[in-house]
Amino acid sequence: MTVLLSARGLAWRAGARTILGPLDLDVLRGECLAVVGPNGAGKTTLLRCLTGLLEASGGEIAFDGRSLKSLSRRQIARRIAYVPQIRPARVPLKVAEIVLLGRYPHLSTLQLAPRKEDFAAVDEALRVVGIEELRGRPVDELSGGERQAVFIAAALAQEAELLVLDEPTLHLDARHQHDLAALLLRLKEGTDHTVVLATHDLNLASLLGDRLLALSAGKALATGTPAEILRPELLERLFRARFEIVRGGERPVTVLDLNA
Amino acid sequence: MRPRTALLLLLALWIATAVLTPLVGSQPVRLADVLRGDPTVTTIFWQIRLPRILLALLGGAALAVSGLGFQTLFRNALAEPYTLGISSGAALGAVLALRLQGGSFLGLSIVALASFSGALGATALIVGLALHRQGIQTSTLLLAGVAVSLSCSAIILFLQYLSDSTQTFRMVRWMMGGLSVVGYTEVLWLLPWVLGGSAALFALRWELNLLLTGEELAASRGVDLARLRRLVLLATSLMIGALVAVAGPIGFVGLIVPHMLRRLVGHDHLFLVPACMLGGGAFLTLCDAVGRTVMAPAELPVGILTALLGGPFFLWLLVFRRRDS
Repeated sequence: MTVLLSARGLAWRAGARTILGPLDLDVLRGECLAVVGPNGAGKTTLLRCLTGLLEASGGEIAFDGRSLKSLSRRQIARRIAYVPQIRPARVPLKVAEIVLLGRYPHLSTLQLAPRKEDFAAVDEALRVVGIEELRGRPVDELSGGERQAVFIAAALAQEAELLVLDEPTLHLDARHQHDLAALLLRLKEGTDHTVVLATHDLNLASLLGDRLLALSAGKALATGTPAEILRPELLERLFRARFEIVRGGERPVTVLDLNA
Repeated sequence: MRPRTALLLLLALWIATAVLTPLVGSQPVRLADVLRGDPTVTTIFWQIRLPRILLALLGGAALAVSGLGFQTLFRNALAEPYTLGISSGAALGAVLALRLQGGSFLGLSIVALASFSGALGATALIVGLALHRQGIQTSTLLLAGVAVSLSCSAIILFLQYLSDSTQTFRMVRWMMGGLSVVGYTEVLWLLPWVLGGSAALFALRWELNLLLTGEELAASRGVDLARLRRLVLLATSLMIGALVAVAGPIGFVGLIVPHMLRRLVGHDHLFLVPACMLGGGAFLTLCDAVGRTVMAPAELPVGILTALLGGPFFLWLLVFRRRDS
């Protein structure tokens, strides 16, 4: 597999404090890399650096061999689609309008209206995510899980090769977490996206990740397959909490042991 | 209502306003007399009424479009064209010119030119701040605007304290805003700024729509936030600076018209920008028509009327028509 996104010596500092790095990282074409780690480990900072939203204080990031710095914001957006964790509490738009906005990097400034292919991309994204029946609804009326699906559809309409998701299951109840995990699994298997995903949820990382990156205090503690990372000793070092493996195998299922 | 239908209705309202309001006022004018060429009526119509209505149509558009731009840019429903201290800057310029006695230059009064400079000065300060620190937050800009505004007000009060009562009266009167003009100098001055500024915001409609989904998401879709912020600030301040220079600070239109129109046409800037141009113009023109007639032959400054009529109506909308929030 070829390398799609690579970071060398990547670091981000806030004043004198180093929040992230230095870190070396390769994301392979077609894989799903899940970044796991405790709060404040630098997961979101890492994702924001990789998407070019945050300018790294040190190091180099290259997408498909081209330095991220040499690309404009629009050029990056045609290659990398991001679903951030934090969004405004209210977005006064309809589902189809939000998904259509995902087409922005493909539109020219002089164009008055979106083209046929833009609407086709919107239809396709709604179909893949399975929310065609929601297209005319105001997004503020939807449940948290449906809303997350809308923003994932918008990212798909962007038609970027790399999909970056920050905590996609945050604030969702068990049912919606399950549905969203199923959706992401469908996406991973049904499309040829490369995915980078940051999550607290070890089981989501285990289900989707081809490789896991354990991030601790801004540094890579370990990288490996789910079975290599999701071991009680490593997790205890990572989270300073006790985990139990309730089902082993290639994609282990873990449970946090609150009694320990 | 579909946005297109709403836009057509607004266009009809705009045309009706433009055609009918020149006929009302302290001296009613009949269209037949204008067409017949009655000299008094012709002068009133062509030299006083029509320029004033055109100024109101343009000014209302400038206020509503800038209010819309600021509300979207700052993601704040309370933002209005004067949020960044532009009216205080303009008032400071005008007050200085009134204190030092005026004159005229290129057909525009020195007071107008001084207030235009003041408006641009206040904006330049804010935009300079935004440029100086690239990563500046929009909330910081908002606070900086408040600081500029308060500083200018303090200097204005100081200047009034130093002035005699005639000068003070003229300063206060200027700050009430008004649209009394004779001839077309002011209209021709305002036209390019308003058309240019509105066209700029219309061209940025995709970016403004994306801002509704949050700055982070907009940036990840390819919007250059720093550039967008600069362009919106520049377009709105030139428009508003040019208006304040000839009409003084007219409040409330920039705050309430975009809110009313969002209820009518929705949140898509493709429709909202033209809707604000039409709706803002019609609203200010109607307010001014009322101001010209209720106390005839005296007239009420339009700034007082926009707040008097707009305030209660807006409250009614907020309290009794809370459907979309």
